[in-house]
Amino acid sequence: MLLAVLLPFIIAIIIPFVSKWKDKIHTGYFVTIVPVIIFIYFVRFIGSGFEPVMREYSWIPSLNMNFAFHLDGLSLLFVLLISGIGALVAFYSIFYLHKSEQLGHFYVYFLIFMGSMLGVVLSDNVFVLYSFWEFTSLSSFLLIGFWNFKKESRYGALKSMLITVFGGLSLLGALVFMSVLTNTTSIREMISQQQLILNSEFFPLILVLLLLGAFTKSAQFPFHIWLPDAMEAPTPVSAYLHSATMVKAGIYLVARYSPMMSANEWFFIIVSTFGIVTLCWGSYMAVRQTDLKGILAFSTISQLGMIMAMLGFGTDIALFAAVFHILNHATFKGSLFMVAGIVDHETGTRDIRKLGGLMTYLPITATLAVFASFSMAGVPLPFLNGFYSKEFFFDSALHLEAANTGISGVLQAAVPYLAVLGSIFTFVYSMYFFFGTFRGKAKLDQLPKKPHEAPIGMLVSPIVLVLGVIIIGLFPSLINKPFIEHAASAVAGTTVEKSIYFWHGFLYPPLILSITVLVFGVILYLSRRVWMPVYNVVPGILSMNKFYDGAVDRLENYSFTITKGYMNGSIGRYVRLILAAILIVTFAFMAMTGGFSINTDNLADFTIAELLVAITMVVAAIGTILTNNRITAILILGVVGYGLAMLFVFYRAPDLALTQLIIETVTVALFLLVFYHLPKLGKKEESASTRVLNLIISIGFGAMMTMVAISSHSTKLFESISSYFVDNTYELGGGDNMVNVILVDFRGLDTFFEIVVLGIAAMAIYAMIRLRQDKKEEE
Amino acid sequence: MELIMAVLAGILFTTGIYNLLQKQLLRIIIGTALISHGAHLFILTMGELKRGAPPILTEGIENYTDPLPQALILTSIVISFGVTSLLLVLAYRASQVNGTDNMEQLRGNDYE
Amino acid sequence: MSNLAVLPIILPVIAGIIVAFIHKKKKIVRIVSQIIAILNLLVVGSIFLYVQQNGTVVLETGGWAAPYGIILVGDLLAMTLVLTTNIIAVACVFFAPKSLSEKQEEFYFYAFFFMLISGVSGAFLTGDLFNLFVFFEVLLMASYGLIVLGNGKVQLRESIKYVLINLFSSMLFVTTISFLYSVVGTVNMAQIGQRVQEVEQQGILTTIGILLFFVFATKAAVFPLYYWLPRPYISPNPVVSALFGALLTKVGIYSILRTFTVMFNQEVQLTHTLFIYLAAFTMIFGVIGALSTNNVKLIIAYNIIPAVGFMLMGIGLYNQVAISGTLYYLVHDMIIKGALFLLIGAIVYVAGTSDLRKMGGLIHHYPVLGWMFFIATLVLAGIPPFSGFIGKLLLLQGGLAQEEIMIVIVALITSLLILFSMIRIFIRGFWGEKTELKHPERKRKGVWMAWPAGALLSVSILLGLGAEWFYPTIDSIAEYVMNPEIYIDSVLKE
Repeated sequence: MLLAVLLPFIIAIIIPFVSKWKDKIHTGYFVTIVPVIIFIYFVRFIGSGFEPVMREYSWIPSLNMNFAFHLDGLSLLFVLLISGIGALVAFYSIFYLHKSEQLGHFYVYFLIFMGSMLGVVLSDNVFVLYSFWEFTSLSSFLLIGFWNFKKESRYGALKSMLITVFGGLSLLGALVFMSVLTNTTSIREMISQQQLILNSEFFPLILVLLLLGAFTKSAQFPFHIWLPDAMEAPTPVSAYLHSATMVKAGIYLVARYSPMMSANEWFFIIVSTFGIVTLCWGSYMAVRQTDLKGILAFSTISQLGMIMAMLGFGTDIALFAAVFHILNHATFKGSLFMVAGIVDHETGTRDIRKLGGLMTYLPITATLAVFASFSMAGVPLPFLNGFYSKEFFFDSALHLEAANTGISGVLQAAVPYLAVLGSIFTFVYSMYFFFGTFRGKAKLDQLPKKPHEAPIGMLVSPIVLVLGVIIIGLFPSLINKPFIEHAASAVAGTTVEKSIYFWHGFLYPPLILSITVLVFGVILYLSRRVWMPVYNVVPGILSMNKFYDGAVDRLENYSFTITKGYMNGSIGRYVRLILAAILIVTFAFMAMTGGFSINTDNLADFTIAELLVAITMVVAAIGTILTNNRITAILILGVVGYGLAMLFVFYRAPDLALTQLIIETVTVALFLLVFYHLPKLGKKEESASTRVLNLIISIGFGAMMTMVAISSHSTKLFESISSYFVDNTYELGGGDNMVNVILVDFRGLDTFFEIVVLGIAAMAIYAMIRLRQDKKEEE
Repeated sequence: MELIMAVLAGILFTTGIYNLLQKQLLRIIIGTALISHGAHLFILTMGELKRGAPPILTEGIENYTDPLPQALILTSIVISFGVTSLLLVLAYRASQVNGTDNMEQLRGNDYE
Repeated sequence: MSNLAVLPIILPVIAGIIVAFIHKKKKIVRIVSQIIAILNLLVVGSIFLYVQQNGTVVLETGGWAAPYGIILVGDLLAMTLVLTTNIIAVACVFFAPKSLSEKQEEFYFYAFFFMLISGVSGAFLTGDLFNLFVFFEVLLMASYGLIVLGNGKVQLRESIKYVLINLFSSMLFVTTISFLYSVVGTVNMAQIGQRVQEVEQQGILTTIGILLFFVFATKAAVFPLYYWLPRPYISPNPVVSALFGALLTKVGIYSILRTFTVMFNQEVQLTHTLFIYLAAFTMIFGVIGALSTNNVKLIIAYNIIPAVGFMLMGIGLYNQVAISGTLYYLVHDMIIKGALFLLIGAIVYVAGTSDLRKMGGLIHHYPVLGWMFFIATLVLAGIPPFSGFIGKLLLLQGGLAQEEIMIVIVALITSLLILFSMIRIFIRGFWGEKTELKHPERKRKGVWMAWPAGALLSVSILLGLGAEWFYPTIDSIAEYVMNPEIYIDSVLKE
C-alpha cells in the first residue's frame, strides 16, 4: 500500500526526463498508467465482505510519525475516486494540452497531487495526514499557476494557497491539540478515546480549528472565494482537483472525525448551517455566472455544501446519502467539466453569452451534457444517479434527529425549506448550463473558432463518466452493498444498511419536494430574464472577495506603515526604544522580586581624596555633554579616564591604573587624530521633548544600574573563588602578581583571545583605510 | 565608599547614554567611552574595595584585595580599546564617504 | 581526550592567522581556506561522534580545575551547534569566491571568516561566563571586520549602527557579569547554577538574570530589541549576510537557553512567562516587517526575527518537548537561513536588482534557482515534511501540553504570514511572462553561486525527511538541558 501511495511521487521524479521526448510521445500517456495501476490495485477490495485493512511503515517513530495506512470503506471510496477520475483526467489531458506546453511541469504537479491526495485519505497518522494535506494545497497552487504568465493565474494561485494553507495550519492546531490530549497520533485511537477530547475544556476550540481546516479546503461559505479563481487552472485540473477530489478532502476530514465529533450538538449546528448556507449561496451565485467554468465552480461549491450539510445532519440516512453523493457528484461534475473543456477547446470561448446552439456541431458532447446536467439538477428519471442522492437529501432533511430546542430547533425547522430553495437554483443553473450552451441560436460569428466535434480521445473520459451516471442510476444496488454501505458505516461508526429504490409511491414526501423543485425551477428558468437584475445586484453587497482583497492589500500596507513607523533607520530612536524596554522590564522585575536591598555594614572607608576625584569625574562627564567644542570634549573625556586611573590606584589595583593610563592616553591621541576629520560639533537642535526624553532614559538607566549594583554588593551570598587565587598564586602559578598570574595562567584563554580581538581589530582598521586608497588609485 | 562609587559609575552610564542619544558621531563615541569607564568602575566596586593590600604577594601580608575583578577589568579595558579604535576609524570613514556625521542624516532607505 | 574540546576553537584561529599572512596570494588563500574549512568540518564531525558515544568532554584549560580556571564544555548541545556552524562555514567558503570582489578577498575576508567561526564555536563551548564575553567580542570584532569589508557608502553607514548597539550590549554584559560575581562569588556557569539553586534564586538574582537576558536578547534580536538587525544584515556581501543570518542571532538564543536552564531556573513562573510574551511579539512584529518591504534581501533579513520568536517560545515553555522543539528549530534555522541568504544573493546577482517590483519571469531563465527558492520557502514556512515542520510541531506540542493557547495561535498565524512573505518573491519574482534577461552574461556565474546554497538546502531537506536520524539526539539533548544537574556535575566533578 505504501508503494501505491508513493508510486505517483516516484514517477513524478522520472517525468522531467520523460518529458524531453514529448514531441514524439505525449507525456500524458506515461502518467495515465499510474492511476490505472493504483485503481486496479484497490478495486479488488470492493465486495460485500470488505474488512478494513491496516498497514504500517515506519518513518519517524520517535515522533510517532509513521506511514500508518488504514483502508476502510470511506478511504476506499476516495481512493477509487482519486485513481479512477485521475486516470480519466490524465487521459483527457493528453488531448487537451498541446505538446508545446510545459508538459513536464504539469504532470509532475499532477502526480504530486495524486500521491498526496491518496496519502490524505489513507493516513491514520494525523501528522502524516497533515503533511499530505499541505502538499495537496501546494500542488493545487502550482497547477493553478501553471499559466503563470497570466495575471489572473497568479492571483488565483496565491488566493487558493493563502486560504487553504490558513485552513491547513488551523487543522494542524486541532490535530496537535487532540494528539496531546489523547497521547496518540492515530485517528482511530483518538476516536476510541474520544471522551478525553469531548470532555476537554478546549473542545470548542478544537472543533472550530478542525472545521476551519475542512471548510477552507472544501470551499464552504465564506471561504469558498478561492475556488472560482482557481478556474484559471487548465480544465483537466479543474475537473480533477477542484471538483472531484481535492475539494472533497475537507468533506473527508469531517466524515473521518464525525464518529467522534457528532456526539457534540455544536458539530450538528455548525456543520449543518455552513453546509446548507453554502448550498444556497453557491447555487444562487452559479446562476449569474457567464463563464461555463464559473457556473461549474459555484455549482461545485453548492454541491459540497449539500454534502457537508448531510454530514452535519448525522443521521444514518444522511450519512449514507452523503457518501453516495460524493460518488455521484464526482461522476456528473467531472464529465461536465470535461464538456466545458471540450467546448472551450473547440470554440475558443467559455463565455455562455457567446455560446448557444452547439448541439448540431457537437452532438456527442451535447448528449453527454444532457445526462450529466440533468443528473446534477436531480430530475426524477430512473437513469440519473443525481436524482437518487437528491431524494436521499430531502429525506434526511425531513428527518433530522436533533433536539427541538434552541438553535438546533430553529435549524431543524429551517433546513427543509433551505434544502428546497438551494435545489431550485441548482435546477436553474443546470438547465442554464445545458440549454445556454447547446440549444438556442448558434452565434457562430462571435466564436473565435469554427466549432466541430472533439476528437474521439477527448470524448472517451466524459463518456466513461456519463456511463457511470447511467449505470449507477439504473442499478444502484450494484454498488450499494459492496461499496457505499461500507463507506457510510465508516462515517457513522456503526453499520448502516440502506436500500436504494427509484419509486416509493406518489405520496413519498421527498418526491413531492423533488417535484416542487422541478416546477419552480422550470418557472424560474423560463422567466430568468426577469430575475437577472436581482441576481446581479445582491451579491455585490455581500462579496467576500472584497474582504479578501482588502485584507491582503491592507496586510501589506499596514505592515509597511507599522514597520516604517519605528524602523526608520535612526540609531537614536533604536537606542531609546531598546533602553526604555530594558529599563521598564528590569525595574518591574526588581519590584516584583523585592530585589533591591542596601546593606551598609560592610563598606570601605570614606576619604576626601577619593571624593574629590569622584566629583571631578562627575563634572567632567557632564561637561562632555555641555561643551560644543570638539577638543574640549575630548580632553575632558580624558579627565574622566585619568580620574578612573586614580581610583584604580586608590583601590589597590596598580596594574589596572597603569594600563588605564596608557590606554587612555592612546585613546585621546586617537580621538584627536580622528576629530580633525570630523565636522565641528553643532548646536544641539533637537526639540525640548526629545531632550527631556533622553534625560529621563539616561538618568533612569544610570539609576537602575546603580541600584542593581548596590543590591548586588549588599547581598554577597557566597565566598568568592578568589581566595583560591590568593592561596595558590605562588605555589601553582609561580608568580607574585596575582592579577598577572590569573591573566596568563588561570584565565590564559581569555588573554589569548583578547589578543586575537586586538589582532582582528588591527586588520579591520587596516582594511578600512587601505581598501579605500586602492579604490581611488583604480579610479 | 562603595555606595559613592556605584553612584559615580551610574552617573558615568547616565552621561554616556545621554551622549549616545545625540546625533553627532563624535558625541556618540564619547558616550561609548564613558559607558565603558562606568562599566569598569562597576566591576571594580563589585570586588571589595580596599580590603587589603594590592594583589601582589608580599611577605607577611594575609589580606589582599580581590584579584579576579581586576583581571577581568584588564581584559575588558584592552578589548574596549580595540573596539573604540575601530569605531573611531569607522566613524571617520563613514562621515567622509557619506559627507555628514549626523546620524539622523544617515538613516537610509530600503533600496540601496 | 578532553583536549578535543579546544580544537573547534583553535583550528580556525590558526587558519585565520595563516590566511592573514598570505592574504595577497588570492588563489592560494582561496584554496587553503576551502581545504581548512573542510578539514575543520571533518574534525568537528568526528568530535561530535565521539561526544555522542562517550559523553561530554570537559577541558580544563591550563589544567586548572573548575571553577578556578576556564572550562570548555563539549557537551552534545554545544557540539551539535558547532557542527552546524561548520557545515554553514563550508558552504560559505565555497560561495565566497563567486560573490566577493578580489579586493575583498585580499583584505582579510578569509581571516575574519575563520575568526568568526572560532568566536562562534567558542561561545558555544565555553563554560565560563566571562570567557563567553571574550568569545562574543571575538565574533563581534570579526563581524565588524566583515560588515565593513568593501567600504561601500551604505555599508559604512549601517556598520556604525551595528557596532554601536553591540558595543553597548557588550558593556552591559561585562557589568552584569560583575554584579553576578558579587552575589555568587564565581564566574563559572556551572557553579553559578549550583549556587543560585542553593539560595533558590533569591533577592537580586532574578533581576540580574533579566539584565543578562536583555544582553543576549539584543544579540538574538528579540522584541523589542531587534531594530538594529535588518538593514545592517543586508548591506554587506551576500556571503557575509549568510554568515550573520545563520550564526550570530543563534549565538544569542543559545546563550539565553544555556543561561536560563543552567543558571536561572528557579523563578520560571516569572522569567519564562515573560519570554513567552516576548516570543509572541517577536513573531508578529518580525513577520510584519517581512511583509512591509519589496526588497527581497530585506524580506529574508526580517524573517530572521520570527524564527527567533519560535526558538524563544520553546525556552519560555520550558518543558522537554518544547525545548527539543527549540533545539530542532535552532539547527534548522541556522541551515536554512544560510541557504536562503546565499540563494537570494545569487538571485539578486542574476536579476541585477533587489527590488521585487523590478523582477519577474525569472523562472524561465533560472528554473533551478526558482525551484530551490520554492523549496527553501516551504522549509522556512514549516511545511511538512521539511525540517521547519519538525521543530514547529514540537513547539506546538509543548505549548498545548502546557495549555498556552495564545502563543500557539500566534505561532500558527505567523507560519502563514512567513509563507506569504516568501511566496510573494516566488510569484512576483519568478512567475510571470518570459522577458529578456537584463544581464545574460551573469548566467553562468549565477548558476554556480546556487550550488553551495543547494548543498545547505539538501541538508535541510535531510533534517526533515530523515528526522528519525536526528530527533533522538535532539531529544536526548533536550532531556539533558532540562536536567541541569548533569551539566553542573560534569563540570564540577562532584
